[in-house]
Amino acid sequence: MNMFIASDSPVDVQLLTLGTTIVVFVIFFFLASKFVWPHIVGGLEQREQKLRDDLEAAEEARKQAKEALTQYEEELKKARAEAGEMIAKARQDAKAAAEELRSNNARELAELKNAATADIESAKKAAIGELHAETSTLAVAIAGKILQREISSNDQQQLVNESLAEMSGKIS
Amino acid sequence: MVPFIAADNPIHHILDKPVSGAEHITLFGKPAITIHMVSLLIAAIVAFIVLRIAAKNISIGREEEGTDRYLTSGKLSSIIEVISLYMRDNVIKPVLGDETSKFLPYLLSLFFFILTCNLLGMIPFMDVQVTAAKLGWGSEIDWAVFGGTATSNLGVTLGLGIVSFIIIQLHAFKSLGIGGWAHHLTGGAPLYLLPIMLPIELMGLFIKPAALAIRLFANMVAGHTMLAVLMMFGMLAFKATGNWVLTGGVEVISTIAAVCISFLELFVAFLQAFIFMFLTTVFIGQMSHHDDEHGHAEAAH
Repeated sequence: MNMFIASDSPVDVQLLTLGTTIVVFVIFFFLASKFVWPHIVGGLEQREQKLRDDLEAAEEARKQAKEALTQYEEELKKARAEAGEMIAKARQDAKAAAEELRSNNARELAELKNAATADIESAKKAAIGELHAETSTLAVAIAGKILQREISSNDQQQLVNESLAEMSGKIS
Repeated sequence: MVPFIAADNPIHHILDKPVSGAEHITLFGKPAITIHMVSLLIAAIVAFIVLRIAAKNISIGREEEGTDRYLTSGKLSSIIEVISLYMRDNVIKPVLGDETSKFLPYLLSLFFFILTCNLLGMIPFMDVQVTAAKLGWGSEIDWAVFGGTATSNLGVTLGLGIVSFIIIQLHAFKSLGIGGWAHHLTGGAPLYLLPIMLPIELMGLFIKPAALAIRLFANMVAGHTMLAVLMMFGMLAFKATGNWVLTGGVEVISTIAAVCISFLELFVAFLQAFIFMFLTTVFIGQMSHHDDEHGHAEAAH
């Protein structure tokens, strides 16, 4: 055997090398199991957990936002309906008030008209009365002048009544 | 003495050698301290330090760091994180299921240990030491204290195979019990086939880890032998012709080829570490208690 070569053939298994390998690897394995893998695996798991938590939180937030939006939309819809109702009611009230005002006005107008008509009627009657008196006096004077004679009070009364009747027929 | 780098026999390039200065220390007539042993130890230390730094970077930092504490700092740490994550979620978990966390430390340790050995083997530490010794102090011998690919030593790969064998069998006994383990050996075959099945399955128990060891060893030996052969061509051309021009031409071609093969070797370094780890996972998985009794056994054989 060449003294500078530990084994002459690559398939020549050296038990010492084999044993050294087992010892070195087992020590490496135990050290790595204690100081390496718990940190790496723990780090990976914590990161995954963080990702999962964040995703869940985001999902939850999205759900809440959606619910809030639906709620707002419903409230908005309700508010719109309420506003519509209020406008309709206000319109109706205004219409009713206008209607009442109009009927009041008409009534007052009718009353005024009636009062005016009554006034006119009474004035007319008074005027006619005055006219009767004036006319009778005037007629007597005229008749006296024309006839140049005195007439009896019976004739006078008859003449006046005839003239009044004639006049009334003309006026009406 | 033939210079080591350009040894006549390319196999010498991958053979284990006693550490220079410790040739006289022997055990059972064999060198007690070899460069592969030292390389193995260095690989373990390097792997541990790198993984320890990565572990610090990967683990979640302190509260005051804010959201940055969830980020992994450092490129190497990120690579190790990605590899670990991939191995766990895409390789180990589909095979082992609920038992993943139990075996993850062992399987990842195995992968990174082999990978470090393979990668360190790609750096020509030994050739640098030999050259430096010859040029530095005119050393008469091929002076080197470490180097070479530890995983190109059958002793090393068998050692790893034995550890895997022990882990697999311990798990089998624990998971299946003695009866279940014995039942597993029959592979679900009818009773009259037992005389054939039992020896085959018993041999299979040992062949599986041995195959792991031989596969890794053979791949590493093949790659490094090929590199050694390529690097020898220049010297062979010079010896045959004595023509420097011709030697230079051969050297250029063989160097280009060696660079290409080195890239292949880099891939093989990762691939073989992965295969060793993955097959160990599969063997552990086969020895787990399954509800679909033996459906897996036939698929595996």
